[in-house]
This record gives sequence, C-alpha cells and structure tokens, in this order.
Amino acid sequence: MIVPMIFLVFFGGAAVWFGVVVFRTHSMVRSALALLFSQTAVGLMFLVMQAEFLGVLQIMMMATEMSVMAIFMVMFMMDPGGLGAMDMTHQKRLSLWAGGIGLGAALAVIWLADWGPAGTDIPGAAQQTEDLGRELLGRSMLIFQSAGLTILTAMVAATMVAIAPAKEQPK
Amino acid sequence: MTVLTVLLSLAAGAYLIAVLEGWAVHGRLQPARPVISALALLGRESLLARKPDRLFFEVGPVLLLVAGLLAVAVIPLAPGLIVTDLATGALFLNAALAYVLVALIMAGWGPNGAYGMIGGWRFLGQFVAYAMLVVMPITAVALRAESLSTVDIVMSQSALWNIAYQPLGFALFIAAAMGLCWLPPLDLPTAPGDLAGGIEAEYTGVRLAVLRLARMVVILALAGATVTFYLGGWLGPWLPAWAWSGIKILIVAGLMVSTGRLVPRVREARYLELSWKLGIPLALINIFVVGVIALVVEI
Repeated sequence: MIVPMIFLVFFGGAAVWFGVVVFRTHSMVRSALALLFSQTAVGLMFLVMQAEFLGVLQIMMMATEMSVMAIFMVMFMMDPGGLGAMDMTHQKRLSLWAGGIGLGAALAVIWLADWGPAGTDIPGAAQQTEDLGRELLGRSMLIFQSAGLTILTAMVAATMVAIAPAKEQPK
Repeated sequence: MTVLTVLLSLAAGAYLIAVLEGWAVHGRLQPARPVISALALLGRESLLARKPDRLFFEVGPVLLLVAGLLAVAVIPLAPGLIVTDLATGALFLNAALAYVLVALIMAGWGPNGAYGMIGGWRFLGQFVAYAMLVVMPITAVALRAESLSTVDIVMSQSALWNIAYQPLGFALFIAAAMGLCWLPPLDLPTAPGDLAGGIEAEYTGVRLAVLRLARMVVILALAGATVTFYLGGWLGPWLPAWAWSGIKILIVAGLMVSTGRLVPRVREARYLELSWKLGIPLALINIFVVGVIALVVEI
C-alpha cells in the first residue's frame, strides 16, 4: 500500500508542477508541452491506481491533443518563442479571484464529499477494458454519442469559419 | 534476461536495417558502413545553435529513443519472450508511438532554426494524416482477437494470418506506418531535397547519432507491430519461434526502408487528402467486414 502511495504522490506532484510551468514559461511550445506532461503524469496516476486502460488512453490522447494545441498557440500568439519577453497576461486581479475560488471549490469537494470505501477487489486489466466497453455501448452511449456529435459540429463550424471566402471570379 | 535479449536483438536488427538502408540509398552493400558512420558521428563536434531551446534540443532525440523502446516492450518475439505482456498492449503501442510526434516537435523547435522547425511542424501535419489509420486497422485486429494483448493477437492468427483475413487493414496500416517513421515517400520532416535535413539539419555529433539510432528503433518497432498484427508474429513451421519473428521483422523493415524510394515524394496535403477521404472510409469498411466475418465464420 505504501509504495503505490509514494508513486501516486510523486506523479500528483509532477502533474501540479508541470501545471505551474504552463503559466511560468514565455514560450508557447514549452507551455503546451508542459501541459502535456502534466496530463501524462495524471495518466501515470491512473496506472498506479490500476486503471490500465484509462491510463494508457490518457497518455496516448494527450500527446496528440497537446501537440496539435501547440501549433495553434504558435499560430495565434504574437511572440510564440517567448524571446521578445512580451507580457501576455491580463486581468490579473480577476484571474486571481477566479483561480482562488476554483481551488477552494475543488478542495471543498475533495474534503466534504462522501467518497465511500476504497475499492479492494479490483478486476484485472482485461476485465476493466471489457466493463468499460459495455458501459460505453450501454448506459453511457447516449451521452457519448451526443458529445461526439457536438464536437463534430463544432469542428465543421470552426473549419468553415477558418476558410477564407473565395473571391468571386470576374466574368 | 528477457529485457537483455530483446535489447540485443534490437541492436542487431538496427544494424542490419542500417546496412540495408545504405544499400537502398547508395546502391552499394557495405556491411561496415553503420560502424564507420557511428564512429564518425561520435568523433565529430556537437554544435549548438544560437539561442536554442536547450531543454527541447537535448530531450528530443532521447524522447524519440524512449518512445521507440517502450513500443518494442509490448512486441512478442516468441512465447514468453516479451518485455511486458500488457492486457492493453495494442493500445500501449499506440501511446508509446504518439510520443514520436512530441519528440520530433521538440527536435524541430529546439535548435531555433527554420529548416528544423518546418520539419517538426510538417510531421504534425503528417501525423494528422496517419493517426487514424494506425488506430483503426488495429481496432479490427483486436476485434478478431477479442483482446488488446499482443500475445493474444498473435495466437488468434494460428489458423489464418491477418494479412489474408483483413488485407485492407494491412495495406492501410503499412501506409500509416511508413508515415509514422517518416520513410520515403513520406519523409517530409527530413526531406533531404528541400529542407536540407529538416529536423536533422541542426543536429551534429552525438545528438545526431542518438536521433538516427532512435529512428531505426522506431522503424523496427513498427515492423514488429506489423508482424505481430498481420503476419502471425512468431508462428511458422520448422524453425524456432524467435527465428520466425526475426526473419519476418527483418523482411518487413527491409521492404519499408527500400521500396518507398521507388516512388516520388508525397506532399503532406496530398497525404492528408488521401488519408481522410479514402483511407478512413476504407478503414471503417475494414472494421465492418472483419466484424461480419468474425460473427459469421469461425476461423
């Protein structure tokens, strides 16, 4: 019990630390990849907690998503490399309050919620994958399908907005 | 012991593939060439570009090597000869290879050079093309095996290899694998013709040696994945299991590094178009067909 706990604390600490790095660096690529490694650390926490499928999935998805995000950040920011030492922060007071309240709310949920007893008989990794598949194609199917459709609609809309309207050909 | 055996066979495989690639590129078979190249690289000065992102510059090649090695860890070479037989092995392979992208972006961004940066971001474009075509054919393979474990996937092919059971998936997977290890005709990140080496442009000496070695490991990992998923892994008559794995992986890797050079380089816009408009519908058809066969016939 003690060894998984040490690893859990270590990866949890790494996730928080990389999260802090996201905001401390001036380089957009470093910022995006710091967020990636923060999420990878969360994936490793899943692995420590014996949720093998979820952990591996998290580690895989985040690598690709954050890399794609990195190029968008480079495209849209004025000083992507951070070499110009531009200050890109704004509304500091508001964000401090919003962050503080968010942190307080998260801590309140963690401490006040009744989480029930910790699971002791954890099914094997193969069984977990099967259970997850049955859950996704059963009770949770409607939720995931509607989420998927919403994301697809947003993607199509974003692409349409991004495409410059073609100039009319002179006749 | 298993780890050591796998690492030694990996080293031997990388050496042979390097000789083969040299043969394909220069037209001369020189068995000593990789040693000479490696010694030359190790002896050379390791230059550092001006104002680099030092962290990314140093981590890029090493992360690539780590990603390749992690991918190799779930490839079975014989019954029992696998570093770790995970229940989610096929997914883990994808997860490890996803970091090839991260490593190349780091290696491209790190040296603060135009060619490298374009090479790195080009690989991201290439990734958007190949990503779904790596995952979707594997879905069909796992569908037949009813497991994500690579050992179970090999065992599921004892009656009929997947190359015959789902040839469409095999073709799509190979096309995606060539993109993943940026081999010609999909070598846009390095593109010797127009990018002066791309991601390799600013690397010299020891760092370049690590980058090239890591690329060999990634190629071998993908050849191993192809053999595991489609060519029956270690299965085969007469010879011992490990020999079959070795022969098949070397043949696949050899074909991967040599045949692509016979066709002209594909632009990433074209690759993206082909992958999304043709590849993904075909991959969906493949999953459907495999599902129907699995339900109807017992093979």
